[in-house]
Amino acid sequence: MADKLLKKENLGKLIESVLGKGGRFIAPSTDARQVVFKAVAKAEDLASDYILARNSYKEFLFPQTEVVAEFTVGKDGVDLRGTDVNPKDTVIFGSRPCEAASLSALRAVFTWDFIDEFYTKREDKTVVLTVACTKGDEACFCTTVGLSPETKDGSDVYLKETESGDYIIEAVTDKGKAFVEKHAAVFEDGSATAKPLFIPAKIEGIDLDKIKERLAKTENYADPVWGELTKKCIGCGACTFVCPTCHCFDITDEGTAFEGERRKNWDSCQYENFTLHASGHNPRDFQHKRWRNRFMCKFNYYPNKFSSKGCVGCGRCIRVCPVRLDITEVMEAMSK
Amino acid sequence: MNNIYLPNLVTIEDIYEEAPDVRSFRLVFKDQKLRDSFEFKAGQFGLYSAFGLGESTFCIASSPTRKGYIQCTFRKTGRVTGGLANLSIGDTMGFRGPYGNSFPVDEWKGKDIVFIAGGIGLPPVRSVIWNVLDRREDFGKVTVVYGAKTVADLVYKNELQHWEERNDVTLVQTVDPGGETPDWKGKIGFVPTVLEEAAPGANNAVAVTCGPPIMIKFVLNTLLKLGFNENSVYTTLENKMKCGVGKCGRCNVGDIYVCKEGPVYTAAEIKKMYNDF
Repeated sequence: MADKLLKKENLGKLIESVLGKGGRFIAPSTDARQVVFKAVAKAEDLASDYILARNSYKEFLFPQTEVVAEFTVGKDGVDLRGTDVNPKDTVIFGSRPCEAASLSALRAVFTWDFIDEFYTKREDKTVVLTVACTKGDEACFCTTVGLSPETKDGSDVYLKETESGDYIIEAVTDKGKAFVEKHAAVFEDGSATAKPLFIPAKIEGIDLDKIKERLAKTENYADPVWGELTKKCIGCGACTFVCPTCHCFDITDEGTAFEGERRKNWDSCQYENFTLHASGHNPRDFQHKRWRNRFMCKFNYYPNKFSSKGCVGCGRCIRVCPVRLDITEVMEAMSK
Repeated sequence: MNNIYLPNLVTIEDIYEEAPDVRSFRLVFKDQKLRDSFEFKAGQFGLYSAFGLGESTFCIASSPTRKGYIQCTFRKTGRVTGGLANLSIGDTMGFRGPYGNSFPVDEWKGKDIVFIAGGIGLPPVRSVIWNVLDRREDFGKVTVVYGAKTVADLVYKNELQHWEERNDVTLVQTVDPGGETPDWKGKIGFVPTVLEEAAPGANNAVAVTCGPPIMIKFVLNTLLKLGFNENSVYTTLENKMKCGVGKCGRCNVGDIYVCKEGPVYTAAEIKKMYNDF
């Protein structure tokens, strides 16, 4: 059976086709010498050589800041206007399998009981085109959390690179099939051989079941090992901002008492203010308690509450950490 | 689009000064339909907005048996509560809610009820007290033990007097040592001690408590000592919240989201939680 191919020289046509139909094309691109996910307009903008974009593309589904309402306060009272989101069709090109698998975690939190349509409306209009990894680095640990470059969860279309730089495409979901049909003109039938995938070695000494078991015991919560393992954390929160599953946010008003807007902004559980009560009491008054919260969220709360992965092993938090606090080292310690 | 972060507009119909920097608002929805249809349960909370400053979380301090309005009570502490404190009767503010679970008042029919509150922990308890008093015949003995740092810090002074005067309510008021005034007729001492002296019967009784975390901790011990079952002791937790609907990620106590699975818990449930208070 012939494969469906996206030829390297047709990438530009695909972008044009997406933009021509009113959509936006988000892909890894070089910006300030870093490869990041951003909106691109032509094939030349695409980064050709990267392991994983610096940022998560969650920002295109759950923006760093967005207006949820606007208000004007006048003599006659308050005029309050809720924001409607009417997102464009969005194509995420060049996702990695780890990051695609994170979308179900975001969806879970934004839809349990109350539905956050700011998220769901965007995600519903998004098609994820995953390019399987042909290289990686020492921070990659997807196989340690039960995923691999062959994982297709969360991908609408799964692409494998060929030796000549083309892509063999596989529509995974109905959304992916519809996408391939919609842009049928840029795809070709043919046959090609995929490059071998980069499969990171599973880290020995990490056992997710043992971690779960240990975290489930409330008596382990006060274990002094948390303080020892995470002592060097400076609380910058960088790990949470690059993490594809971290979703915490703040709601603040910007403007004056007469006119302004209410915004939903990314926030981080690593900040002291995050849980600080008005009374001055803070349930997470030390950095190690905030670090423990993030770890518990990934490996206990998310799996138990939402039956989804809190950590997909993308390794971004390891690459970005200014003090080289490596989550896999903590996972290893918690596997004992 | 259904915008879960969009508040409803409410008008401040009345303002009551409760204690230094503590005041209550009586609020009515601008939208007449909502005014008529709005329902909540005792123990639920809301997000209150001062436009331009943001939102704060407080309980609904009025009883679900009193229709047509809601009351909130807050202490002027930070930016939002400071902004709310600057509002006057007739001004507009925002309200989202009701959110969270509630006290299972219907399950308490025929039981004695003991309310124990400290300081500004009385507002959430007040909602339940009035809920019970408005259906007085459904319940057994009603006891209220309430204390504050000083006489001035006692909130709902008019209502305390009313409960004092009712012969179907036993009210025990106390202030911390040094907080009394020359004409103070109540007790002097901390709430857990005064509760132990008052020794309300634990047989066929439930207890509801709210106050500073340290008070709750000792009150729970006292109640167990008095023979209360930890499944019959209820409290309401507070944690910083921004969304109120299980999204923003900060109110969790371990794996429990206070905004959705709380804020009302039994002592037995609290005992099982991670120590993340």
